[in-house]
Amino acid sequence: MKIVSRGCASRQVAYLALADRLSASERVALETHASSCAECADALRNARRVDAALHVAFSPLRERRTMIAPGRVRLAVGPRSAAKNPWLRAPRFFGRLAEVAVMVGVTLFAVSTTFDPSTRQSTSSTATHSVVQQYLRAQPPIGEIDYLRWLRLNKPDDSTAVSDQRRLPMGGRFDGDPIDIQQGPGAAPR
Amino acid sequence: MKTQRDPAAGDSRTDHDLVYAARDGDTIAFDALFYRYRDGIFRLGLAITKDPSAAEEIVVDTFARAHRALARLEPDDSLRPWLYRVAVNLSYNRRPRKGVVLSSLDEAADVALDNDEGSPSAVAEQAELRRLVLGAVDELGPKHRLVVVLHYMNGLNLTEIAEVVGCPVGTVKSRLHYALRRLRTHLAAHPELGIEPTRPIIATELRAPKPITVSLPLEGK
Repeated sequence: MKIVSRGCASRQVAYLALADRLSASERVALETHASSCAECADALRNARRVDAALHVAFSPLRERRTMIAPGRVRLAVGPRSAAKNPWLRAPRFFGRLAEVAVMVGVTLFAVSTTFDPSTRQSTSSTATHSVVQQYLRAQPPIGEIDYLRWLRLNKPDDSTAVSDQRRLPMGGRFDGDPIDIQQGPGAAPR
Repeated sequence: MKTQRDPAAGDSRTDHDLVYAARDGDTIAFDALFYRYRDGIFRLGLAITKDPSAAEEIVVDTFARAHRALARLEPDDSLRPWLYRVAVNLSYNRRPRKGVVLSSLDEAADVALDNDEGSPSAVAEQAELRRLVLGAVDELGPKHRLVVVLHYMNGLNLTEIAEVVGCPVGTVKSRLHYALRRLRTHLAAHPELGIEPTRPIIATELRAPKPITVSLPLEGK
């Protein structure tokens, strides 16, 4: 049930008559309706005045212009998309390639001259010796001759032992303690 | 051999042709599109942001987006709705700069009126009426103000406005109808504009039933 009436349904059409660009037949139908409907006639009459006031008010703004050049858009977009032809990018590409080649060459030269070859070789041989040689020395060989060689290789280094000059006069070693020959005062050589 | 044209002088090609030419690397075609729509986008940005330098940046950003989207653009007739939609989104997403006092629409109009000729009293009277109307437009909500600006300042019809705003034509009609009624109510307070105040709606078909009031005897008595 319709409780409250909201006015004539054609009122919106009357307000938008100028903005909506009605056809001739629609305009005639609206005018005919407005002649019998006071609300639509009022809306149509005042909508024309509001429309005219808005057109006058916005007229100076419609004349407003800007002096922006398209170059600003190109700056905003960036130079990457300016040249789409790959051949146009070739000089830049080769220039860049030359730069990279020089940089790599200089870097390799600097790195190669930083390390001394002799130092590098000695460190590598030491590392090999420390791993392989220790392992082989820890394992006794099976054959008799190899076992003797292994024993000789693994005997303790005597050069580091402290030698007694008195006990080892000739470079050899006595089995027993040396005896001091005591010469008495009355003794005479035979 | 490619003919050199002056883009600022106007290009007779359609937007569709210009877009396809710009897609093939024709910068003159893109410049022609720029010169064709830069003023409209500038005014639209100015109406929303009320900041001329911000409006210029919106023009640049809008066309920068168009340049990036050239491969995807397929304008049937006019590129204007697409450009305006981008400009509206950019304008609304733009935060006002700090320290910038935003001018209202009527102040922007006063700037444009500096070159008007005529008697000083007539110019002053016109400026006053313009200030009243644009002040009333400023008081509208953003959705309704946008519809009014797009129609009365940028000259878009209701279908184009619907494309720009991204809603059905019926919604645009409803918003414009509401905006015009509000403007009528605002402007009726100024009799020099000749706009009559809104009449109260008189239900002619059916009236709301009056509430039934029944006086009941009080129990205490």
